[in-house]
Amino acid sequence: MAKMLMISADKCTGCRNCELACSMTHEGAFRPTATRVHVYSWEREGFSVPMMCQHCRDAPCITVCTPHAMTRDPVTGWVNLDQQKCIGCKMCVQACPFGNSVWDELTHEILKCDYCGGDPACAKFCPTHAIEWVDDVVATRTRKRAFAEHFKIAFSE
Amino acid sequence: MKILYFALLRDITHKKEEDWHQPEATLGDLLRDLVAQYGHEFEHWVLKDGDLWNLVIILVNGQDVRQMQKLKTPLAATDSVVIFPPLGGG
Amino acid sequence: MHGWIGKVLRVNLSTGKVSTEPLDLDRAKDYLGARGLGTKYFCDEVDPKVDPLSPDNKLIFAPGPLTGTYAPSGGRYNVCTKGPLNGTIAASNSGGTWGPELKFAGYDMLIVEGKAPKPVYLWIRDSSVEIRDAGPLWGKIVPDTQDAICAATDADAKVACIGPAGENQVLFAAIMNDMHRAAGRSGVGAVMGSKNLKAVAVRGNGSVTCADHEAFLAAVMDARQKIQAHPVGGTGFRLYGSQILMNIINQVGASPTRNWQDGFFPNADKVSGETLAANQLQRPKGCFSCIISCGRVTKVTNPKYKGEGEGPEYETAWGFGGDCGVDNFDAGIKANYYCNEYGMDTITMGSTVACAMELYEKGFITLEDTGGIALNWGDGDAMLEMVRLTGVGEGFGKKLGQGSYRLAESYGHPELSMTVKKQEMPAYDARAIQGVGLNYATSNRGGCHMRGYTIETEVLGNPVFGPKVDQHTIDGKPQICINWQNLTAALDATGSCQFTTFGIAADELAAMLGPLTGIEYTAEDFLKCGDRIWNLERLFNLKAGFTAKDDTLPPRMLKEPIKTGPSKGKVNLLPEMLPEYYRLRGWDENGVPTPAKLQELGLSA
Repeated sequence: MAKMLMISADKCTGCRNCELACSMTHEGAFRPTATRVHVYSWEREGFSVPMMCQHCRDAPCITVCTPHAMTRDPVTGWVNLDQQKCIGCKMCVQACPFGNSVWDELTHEILKCDYCGGDPACAKFCPTHAIEWVDDVVATRTRKRAFAEHFKIAFSE
Repeated sequence: MKILYFALLRDITHKKEEDWHQPEATLGDLLRDLVAQYGHEFEHWVLKDGDLWNLVIILVNGQDVRQMQKLKTPLAATDSVVIFPPLGGG
Repeated sequence: MHGWIGKVLRVNLSTGKVSTEPLDLDRAKDYLGARGLGTKYFCDEVDPKVDPLSPDNKLIFAPGPLTGTYAPSGGRYNVCTKGPLNGTIAASNSGGTWGPELKFAGYDMLIVEGKAPKPVYLWIRDSSVEIRDAGPLWGKIVPDTQDAICAATDADAKVACIGPAGENQVLFAAIMNDMHRAAGRSGVGAVMGSKNLKAVAVRGNGSVTCADHEAFLAAVMDARQKIQAHPVGGTGFRLYGSQILMNIINQVGASPTRNWQDGFFPNADKVSGETLAANQLQRPKGCFSCIISCGRVTKVTNPKYKGEGEGPEYETAWGFGGDCGVDNFDAGIKANYYCNEYGMDTITMGSTVACAMELYEKGFITLEDTGGIALNWGDGDAMLEMVRLTGVGEGFGKKLGQGSYRLAESYGHPELSMTVKKQEMPAYDARAIQGVGLNYATSNRGGCHMRGYTIETEVLGNPVFGPKVDQHTIDGKPQICINWQNLTAALDATGSCQFTTFGIAADELAAMLGPLTGIEYTAEDFLKCGDRIWNLERLFNLKAGFTAKDDTLPPRMLKEPIKTGPSKGKVNLLPEMLPEYYRLRGWDENGVPTPAKLQELGLSA
């Protein structure tokens, strides 16, 4: 069974603790522009969404990467970026349909979530469980079940 | 005796207030009976290790029981008891 | 440097000159940042007799060393200036995400001087600082201003701006950031308006660094764990916001009602945090690095009061609730939205409308004055219209925009203004809670609860400074008041949020500051910073012309007992507490810091 980062945007308060944890873990400093997870907030509606690499099974970033800096680990299934092989062509920035491969204008490197090697800092720091590191069967085990409970409550009244 | 509930105690008791007809000599007696009625969740937000949680705010006729005798505060049938779980602001 | 960036940005709007200078580490060590360091720089550069709305006043935007890190709820900044509402030193505090962005752009402080010849806004993009024309923005409400500036600069720019109220120099105009957060009190927005400065937009690509990250992380995790374990810091605030206070403050008989004519509002539950959570609340919101999430994203669907935004906070719900005798919550929340859109302090606004209602009740104000609107107690629509008129600067709103003291004084009855040093007292009746009255009387910016939130000890029982004490006694209150005032001053100076006191206090804050900055602070050092900041503010006010006579309360607090409710019959016993307060502070009987006290803190007279 594999793990994934589960985003529950309805729980996000826009605090950006995830960005701080991510940038400190990877860069050794607090620099939100250097994070692999970014939070987008719409102030009028008061809604916030954290976004990070989804480690797609059929990853367009891998397809377009000519030096094979982006690869898929056969064991974990994660999409990994090898900075040593990366030539900074930014084709992955064009290819990712979610915009989760980001060019850092300061360091001239690609920023992409790497799950912190299996212990994501963002999930640890999120105070509201808007980001969780969970088994990838969570969709059926918890979220779908949680919604199904609404039916149980409705029919028992 | 009139009891008023606030904040998440309203969700636990499903009431904002109630008329309590059982005679209770002290606040401790009342809380014991409320816990029996509303269960562990109620107890969790009001008592700590069997004693009154120092952050819970209970008023008898508008006076804070922490300035009186806490669980031993005597109660009369005409008293008004107000119970708040720990809360804050600024 | 760590924690601090090491650079101050200075913009002179009269000359257009933009310059930077190194941060003075000596002053930073003693005053930390935000309220402390911003005030220190201000006091060193500005004459206390300056006219607050003149070009000679300065406006300092200052985050703190914790701002921009993951210290829990450490994302705040202060706006330091001389406040036009009452002429005291002002250090208005705000959350959101603007403060951290200034640090990521590379600055510990922005000092704005002079006055632009016509409306401008600042666009700070790391080392690039532009003074841009704000002509098309002048007159726009806050949300539209933010959207327009983001469109013209960067979609992710953080914007601090004024609305029409600041432009019109409403004396309690606020500076808004992140659309709904406010540096609310003392009229700092009017200072910004007087400088023709519409907004400051910031985007930063830089970083805040740590001296010893491992130790900092350990201290942060300890602080987070304590706050999350606390029932209020960990759960209560997220569920109900600060608005949860409405019922408890009322039930102890301390809810000022109808311009403080009474201390109990029978319909308080209709405008309470519980009602908000059940009806208008959409979801909680957190400021930068916050784990408490007290922010309320709300929406009113009632077509008459339709709107969305953030809030109300407790004081706001009170000001537009019981203080005006209003239990129409939708109207009160809409009034809150107006204040955010026009950029106004909700406490002063609500209290000023309440004052007008009492003046009207007693026949000192007529329908002719109000433009035909009857200011009856409990009329939420009349209240709302007064707020709107103040925001747009029309009709009777022009008079209300001067605050309740000048309003009441103009009709011959200043005693009906519920203010201390001309700033309106917030939602805790000083007659019902003795220490609250002492804090109002001695607060360095006039009527204010945040300057020394003794309510935690006197009502809530949060054990930061020992167990709960009786709200009605005066024994020990001077020391409790001083403890809260000093802790708060130091806490404000770090950039952290007062709500972290539901979980942590001086020990934990000092434990984070040390490994972050590389400069060690004990809890005593930390509290001494607070004492130093407090005395610095006091010295400024004395030089600005305030005296011990101003350390008082409105006559109603001292002479008119509360009429109904659990605190019926009470008045505030300030004259019995104030001499001991001065003595414990190390001040003489005129409330002036003694030479010995100044020497202890490293201050000069």
